[in-house]
Amino acid sequence: MSLRPLYVGIDLGTTNSTAAVFDGEKVTLVRNSQGATLTPSVVRIDARGGVTVGAKARRFLETDADNTRSEFKRLMGTAQTLDFKAGKTSKRPEELAAEILKSLRADVKEHLGFVPSRAVISVPALFELPQSAATSEAARMAGFEKVELIQEPVASALAAGWSAEEKTGSWLVYDLGGGTFDVSLLETRDGLLRVVGHDGDNFLGGRDFDAALVDWVLHEVERTQGVTVSRADPKHAAGLRKLKLAVEEVKIELTRATEASLVLSGALEVSGQAVEIDLVVERATLEAVTSALVERSIEVCKRLLAAHGLGPGQIGRVVLVGGPTVMPALRARVREALGAPFGEGLDPMTLVAQGASIYAATAGLDARGEAKVDESGRRVWLQYPAMSSDLTPHVIGRLVDAGQNQGVKIRLSRNDGLWTSPDVALDEEGAFIVTLDLLPRRPNVFKIEAKSADGKVIALSPSAFTIVQGMTIGDPPLSRTVGVALADDAVRVYFARGAPLPAKRTFVHHTVESVSRGSTECLLKIPIVQGELAQAHLCRLVGSLEIGGASVKASLPAGSAVEITLELDRGGHLSARALVPALGQIFEQVAHLLVPDASPDALDATVTAMRGRIGELRIDAMARNAERTIGRLTYVECALIDAANDAEAARGGDADAGQKARRTLLELDGMLEECEADKRWPELESRARRTLSEATIWVGQYGSKSEQMLLEEAAQAVEKARAERNAVELQRQLRVVTNLYNACFQRHPEAWAWMFEDAASEADQATDMVRARTLVQTGRKAIEKNDMDALRGVVQDLWKLLPVSAQKRRLGHDSGVR
Amino acid sequence: MTEASPIGTSAIERIRDNPFYVLGLRPDATRQAIERQGTKLLGMLELKLKSAGAYPTPVGRAERTVEKVRSAMAELRDPSRRLEHEIWARLDPEALADAPRDVTPVDDEPAPRAADPWPEALAALGWRAV
Repeated sequence: MSLRPLYVGIDLGTTNSTAAVFDGEKVTLVRNSQGATLTPSVVRIDARGGVTVGAKARRFLETDADNTRSEFKRLMGTAQTLDFKAGKTSKRPEELAAEILKSLRADVKEHLGFVPSRAVISVPALFELPQSAATSEAARMAGFEKVELIQEPVASALAAGWSAEEKTGSWLVYDLGGGTFDVSLLETRDGLLRVVGHDGDNFLGGRDFDAALVDWVLHEVERTQGVTVSRADPKHAAGLRKLKLAVEEVKIELTRATEASLVLSGALEVSGQAVEIDLVVERATLEAVTSALVERSIEVCKRLLAAHGLGPGQIGRVVLVGGPTVMPALRARVREALGAPFGEGLDPMTLVAQGASIYAATAGLDARGEAKVDESGRRVWLQYPAMSSDLTPHVIGRLVDAGQNQGVKIRLSRNDGLWTSPDVALDEEGAFIVTLDLLPRRPNVFKIEAKSADGKVIALSPSAFTIVQGMTIGDPPLSRTVGVALADDAVRVYFARGAPLPAKRTFVHHTVESVSRGSTECLLKIPIVQGELAQAHLCRLVGSLEIGGASVKASLPAGSAVEITLELDRGGHLSARALVPALGQIFEQVAHLLVPDASPDALDATVTAMRGRIGELRIDAMARNAERTIGRLTYVECALIDAANDAEAARGGDADAGQKARRTLLELDGMLEECEADKRWPELESRARRTLSEATIWVGQYGSKSEQMLLEEAAQAVEKARAERNAVELQRQLRVVTNLYNACFQRHPEAWAWMFEDAASEADQATDMVRARTLVQTGRKAIEKNDMDALRGVVQDLWKLLPVSAQKRRLGHDSGVR
Repeated sequence: MTEASPIGTSAIERIRDNPFYVLGLRPDATRQAIERQGTKLLGMLELKLKSAGAYPTPVGRAERTVEKVRSAMAELRDPSRRLEHEIWARLDPEALADAPRDVTPVDDEPAPRAADPWPEALAALGWRAV
């Protein structure tokens, strides 16, 4: 086994997977048994239950489709199982992913001489929590003891940054995969990488390039042979699949050659006659038919840059990732449009795996596993960054056994003999801090020695450690906001998008209904959601904590406090805990949900409902002459056709197409929400005016100078959002204004009395009327005595008992807390 | 989704949880110094060293946790957010090094007013006494 740490990174891709090893100095790609660095993400199970993975399995993709599966990454985190008819078995997507990971792990073993126990695996930037959890589960099934996940664009940038000379600048990662396009803006400063922003188009990928070329071929067939091949005709489905594979090969060939032959005989048949395809495809033709797609990707890049105040020409470097980015015309157009050079010598197909292996060093995930403790010396507990961009980081240590610390001195030395620390005495806690000196861009091994007061050498365990110097990334950022859905369909944000992981937060909520002890019907749900929108029903449910009548020690009245703690580890694994102080009980059983099923009926119903919404919105937008909305509706309408096709394919048993349709429909739903917000814009604008003028009065009268200054800033932000017609931002700023307004309003001597009367008027609808009546009586007494502190407590308790609209609660994923 | 509004937290908490105070740095600290100090404090907290367990602020000593240090580092990596924190970290935390320890409550309820060790701190920042 290697004497110094080794780090393994894996790109678990939809089409191909790759493993890489980082030794602190350079990254090496791991070759599989065929000598290739790319292992096709394909699994075959034969009649005897034998499992074949990679290129060997891919050969059977066309000839033995019932027993060979590919592209299962898109089904990760769903309940969908994939059948293998000959073996009479079915597997979950994570089980198939585990087979790929096992194969890569075996390849790494061949490469390193030992089985790696820890690794970093890449996931798409916008993977949802259940998908990330499924990836971690696949790794566990493959035998890894510990894994961390990294977002693909971060991995690519890290790999590009490791070899870069410049230390400061903005980078754009242009990642065009098979089905999606992701673009990320990153910033490097002083060797530290930071994700500044992300954008993308979930309906744009290499398969769209193939489809454009297929369309051209069919058009040529019609033009030259007078034969029309309809893509909607199910009889042509198998022939079109063959044509698509042939076109894909031509597309790859055209990255090097200026023309390529496309010959396909007998694959398609029209009116009993075989259609012969024999064409010469020129590179210029491919460029022409795909240019609109390239432009679409560039628009997304420009939109991301503009959102961060940058324009083309203001970025230091563009990093290309994904197979389609090898197209010469695409490269030329991207370079011209973004005005920045590409990272030199970077392989778009393996960059993600390389970055994942470098990140494994940052995360301290040595593939060799936990170091064995040498029992012979005194135990020293060390803390240091496994990878550091800083040339002079600290190492902190503490002698943790019960030995004598008086007079003990510590000395560290770099193993090249060119640097030694001064002797450092232990403090009263038996600890020491030493500033190290690192050599750049390499692993630095340090020896640690201790001497007693009388100068005798004390053996320490461990006696050495390694720090790699180079570009590093801070804590991985959370890709989507996570929070708890509330009974009024709002969301309490626990971790905002971009929050550093790991993260842990606790908030106090209150129950909206009682839970009777022993009742099997009473179930208080605490839904955990993920998404960026203010309404819970527009966010995705990713987990749920449940407090049932059968598990409570005593009945829990409505309005009881529940302390909810959510925790996310560095890999994005969610755990949750609810403490009910009144019962002294903790509930930790989180129902980790799966990505919802994509049943064809539900998909069809959604498509129909969306078409109805588009119709209504279009009439309104036409009447208002709202060009932006009309444009967006047209986009949704076009994308809806693809979703409907995928839904149709799902009916034919293509689960992958069903999941694609589900995701597409969710995205389109969000877009339609924006159009609907646009329709409600005049109402929102008028509310903004009203709120601002009320806030101006109250903050002017009762606010401090700082609060008045903050209101002024918020008013400017409201104005900016109004000018840009940005409904999400306007609502956010209005919340700031409302908070300020509330804070100042509550300083009015009569404020709590007014709020009390308002709450008391609804007491007859309270969830616990007996308690509500008692509170009203207590409140009246507090007013008589002019005890405002007591009154405030009464009002806050009354609020907790007021009913929540059943409809809103349903929308809020049946949340039982507020 | 709604973001927890900074206005919603009390002024005391805002000063006490200022990333510069959490890390024990002044507003002119370089980015590298922030990373170095943050990593050092995380190591010290991991080793459960008492010397890292609390930090001085103009409103009294506060408990330092791993979560606070990570969050402080992330806040100061973002230039625009850092600027905001620089303004609020103008007061010298050592001016009241002997102030009584004041631990952050678990939820987002404002800290009790009676526990404020230095009410003038708010006034110095332009806050109106309530």
